[in-house]
Amino acid sequence: MELLAQQLINGLFIGSVYGLFAVGYTLVFGVLDILNLAHPAIFTLGGLVALWLVEGAHFSIWAAFPSAVLFAGLLGLILDRIAFFPIRRRADSNFSGLISSIAMAILFESAAFALFGARTVRFPANTVTNRVWQVAGVTITSLQVEIVLTAILFMVGLTQLLKRTRVGKAIRAVAENDRAARLLGIHVDRIIAFTFFLSSAMGGAAGILFGLYFDALSPDMGRSIEIKGLAVIILGGMGSIPGAILGGLAFGLTEVLTVAITGTSNLRDAVAFTMLFAILIFRPSGFLGRRSMREA
Amino acid sequence: MEFVTHLLAVYGSLLNFIGIQSLLALSLYITLSAGQLSLGNAAFAGIGGYVSGVLSLHYGLSYILALIAGSASAGVVALVIGLPVLRLRGVFLAMATLAFGEVVRIAAVNLTITGGAQGLVGIPNRTKGWMIYLVLAVVCYVVARLRGSRVGWSFATIREDETAAATLGIHTTYYKTLAFVMGAVIAGLAGGMYAHLTFIISPGEFGFSAAVQLLIYNIVGGTRTWPGPILGTVLLIILPEVLRGIGVAAGALRMAVNGLVLLLVILFLPNGLASLFQGGSRQTPKVAPLPREEA
Amino acid sequence: MRKADRWGCIYALTVALVAVLALGGAQQAIAAGKEAKIGLALSMTGGAAAYGATQKNGAQLAIDEINAAAGAEGPKLVALFDDDASTPQQGANVYSKFINADNVSVIIGPTLSNTAQVTNRIAQEAGVPVLGISNTAKGITDIGDFIFRDSLTEFVVIPNTIRIAKEKLGIKKVAVLYGNDDAFTKGGYDAFKKALADAQIEILSEQTFAKGDRDFSPQLTQIKAKNPDAIICSALVEEASGIVSQARQLGIPKSVRIIGGNGFNSPALIKNAGEAAEGVMVGAAWNVTSTSPLNKKFVETYTAKYGNPPDQFATQAYAGVYIIHEAIKKAGSTDRKAIRDALKGIKDLDTVLGKFSFTEGRDADHLPVVQEVKGGKFVVFGE
Repeated sequence: MELLAQQLINGLFIGSVYGLFAVGYTLVFGVLDILNLAHPAIFTLGGLVALWLVEGAHFSIWAAFPSAVLFAGLLGLILDRIAFFPIRRRADSNFSGLISSIAMAILFESAAFALFGARTVRFPANTVTNRVWQVAGVTITSLQVEIVLTAILFMVGLTQLLKRTRVGKAIRAVAENDRAARLLGIHVDRIIAFTFFLSSAMGGAAGILFGLYFDALSPDMGRSIEIKGLAVIILGGMGSIPGAILGGLAFGLTEVLTVAITGTSNLRDAVAFTMLFAILIFRPSGFLGRRSMREA
Repeated sequence: MEFVTHLLAVYGSLLNFIGIQSLLALSLYITLSAGQLSLGNAAFAGIGGYVSGVLSLHYGLSYILALIAGSASAGVVALVIGLPVLRLRGVFLAMATLAFGEVVRIAAVNLTITGGAQGLVGIPNRTKGWMIYLVLAVVCYVVARLRGSRVGWSFATIREDETAAATLGIHTTYYKTLAFVMGAVIAGLAGGMYAHLTFIISPGEFGFSAAVQLLIYNIVGGTRTWPGPILGTVLLIILPEVLRGIGVAAGALRMAVNGLVLLLVILFLPNGLASLFQGGSRQTPKVAPLPREEA
Repeated sequence: MRKADRWGCIYALTVALVAVLALGGAQQAIAAGKEAKIGLALSMTGGAAAYGATQKNGAQLAIDEINAAAGAEGPKLVALFDDDASTPQQGANVYSKFINADNVSVIIGPTLSNTAQVTNRIAQEAGVPVLGISNTAKGITDIGDFIFRDSLTEFVVIPNTIRIAKEKLGIKKVAVLYGNDDAFTKGGYDAFKKALADAQIEILSEQTFAKGDRDFSPQLTQIKAKNPDAIICSALVEEASGIVSQARQLGIPKSVRIIGGNGFNSPALIKNAGEAAEGVMVGAAWNVTSTSPLNKKFVETYTAKYGNPPDQFATQAYAGVYIIHEAIKKAGSTDRKAIRDALKGIKDLDTVLGKFSFTEGRDADHLPVVQEVKGGKFVVFGE
């Protein structure tokens, strides 16, 4: 019982980490129908820049966190301007955008590599206080709780932003039909730029939390979570914000339960990806997605 | 003549690699030419490589038979997963094939017969450079002939507009599956030849980044004509050699130049490098679309 | 742009390209007798970039020292570094260039064993001696009589570690955690499994992880429930530090030792796992605190030059350059075959790794160490 309870906690936690990463990922897809493969690189740079601010510039984490998040957001603006804006009018923009985002990912990653080296580094000990609680034989840490809360906050905050604010409504209008939005007097390019800013800022924040919890930052850290992040946004339904968190939890729990049930971890990734494959075939819209989007 | 043999000694392994990768790029080109964005071709190469490698290493099958078996297995697997998967469009098809590719890679990691993470070691070295280029020439010929044929026309029509293609009486499922399976067969063949070239294959070589690399070759070279993917492959593979030649140090900088080339091509040459070679193609930035998600 | 102009452009570009390649491939003048050219093919990009970087540092330091100390007599070393990009294919390209264009006398590298399986065949065929400085997979030196390595394999290091752990700690049942998609960590697992069977230690649970994983709590939770005496772990340092700290966080007590192999032997383990690293046992080829004068001087100069203490990868690279230098000196020429013969004869050479010899099979032969982390440092647990 204890074992299962701990595994469920583990699954909820890693699921929230996936969800945190995927929220920004899915936002851009929802608005532009573009898979932004530079998102993992921005995730990485967010974490590394925060680390540099703490270690090199001696910021406290409370100052470094918002600065690095802002920096990641600015990277998002640059990304949009260089890689997406020039090709937006092309008929195959969602395809060429995929490729130009790969190009930007390579550039970002090589910058991270040149600036920070290939080594795996961590935030100095005691950057944040991490309390460990043992409740009825189950271990939970304060940082885990904070990460889960941030994931929920992101999900609720972003959903509310899209639903209630002016800019949120504009984003949804652009997502629905950018030509119509333009006719309605919405400044489409500015809205898209803002979407990238938001998505990348959240990606950067995810990178920082990831780095703080796992004590391991490296220029290629985005890669290992990239494919799982893709799986998560498919599971949740591409473009759906609550779906990203839900998909994250589903993926995390699948991984952990595979380990718990079979008692071994060899099958963990195979089961997770088989599930993704099956979902695509039997319920291509994911948990919360729009079905019409993906099938003929 | 001595100069040529010398160059061959220096760049022989590079030329072989270019040949194999060109075959793989062409395998994806066929699938793309029917408008299907697949990230599964690296996995098909893996299936071809492992099946033929295991057969010739453990069961002493002859080289040619092993290649055929590897290629055929890739084709059969493509047929089986193609039928359900090809209902999906665009990025969703890409994701489904990506998931399939991951499962193949994880299987290769976990099975004993594939040698696990250390790879399948000791595959007899049978592939010679000329064989690769012979196969490449044949594949080029087939692909070039495809263009004027009914099959090629059906592919192109589906690529432009699948719904319209169906109303024109084109059996879309048949042709999409055909493109997918043809791609897989060629990828499987290339994988088999690669396995018999390098003595060892390991699961990591057929993963996500390999699949994306094939897509990059196609986009950089251009997906409108068959020489495009080959052009992209050649350019991107010799790029590190050129950079070394002009004294760019190995490391982050070479990586950055790689990214920059890719970016410049996608921004300024929407039809890829191949468009440089076609008269009058400059004024066609309005590319005929690859499929969008909305039906 | 008119069509003719465009073709002109393409033609000019093609000519320039061929010229660059031909220049790169052109036979360079063979170095004068007092200099020996060595090629170092290391992973500077790709998955193993972190290791290639410290290998390059270690090798560069040795080369600088040797060249500064070499008088007019020589032999000085001319080092060519290139990137194998952590892939066999790029490794093969670099080897072909080293062998046929640069005419190196000897090659050091490549970083990964899977790459070595491909590249070393090219060198063997061309009759160029190769010294591996980090390959630990089985069968690398079986490729041929030109292939050497100075990296002690897990099959030497691990049985020694398990024997000492059993003697001194009395462990009887263990859990095993390893990376199953990486050649190095899988090889380490195979070595552990065999050593555990030989020592008649029971395995309660086997868990795996994938390269790049950062969360190991599901596996560790399973392990915790089995109450093992120790956790045997085959991992590289990126994953190892996370495993160690998460194990302690989950409440696996420090009395349950975590035992690792060569992959754990890096200052980054202690740095990244912090307090949790205390008590971790690491069987390895080299101990950083070894008090031999050579090693003390190396650790000091390396730390002063690069701002970080060396890890085992840097050390084996550093030792490798000295081993090659010794062979070139003994051979008295830059002839590839002469150097190969001299390498074979290396016996009890003083290196930072200790007294170094090659076995009959051209593998490294020196004493492995078992260390534990104590007070934030690796200290010797037993030899």
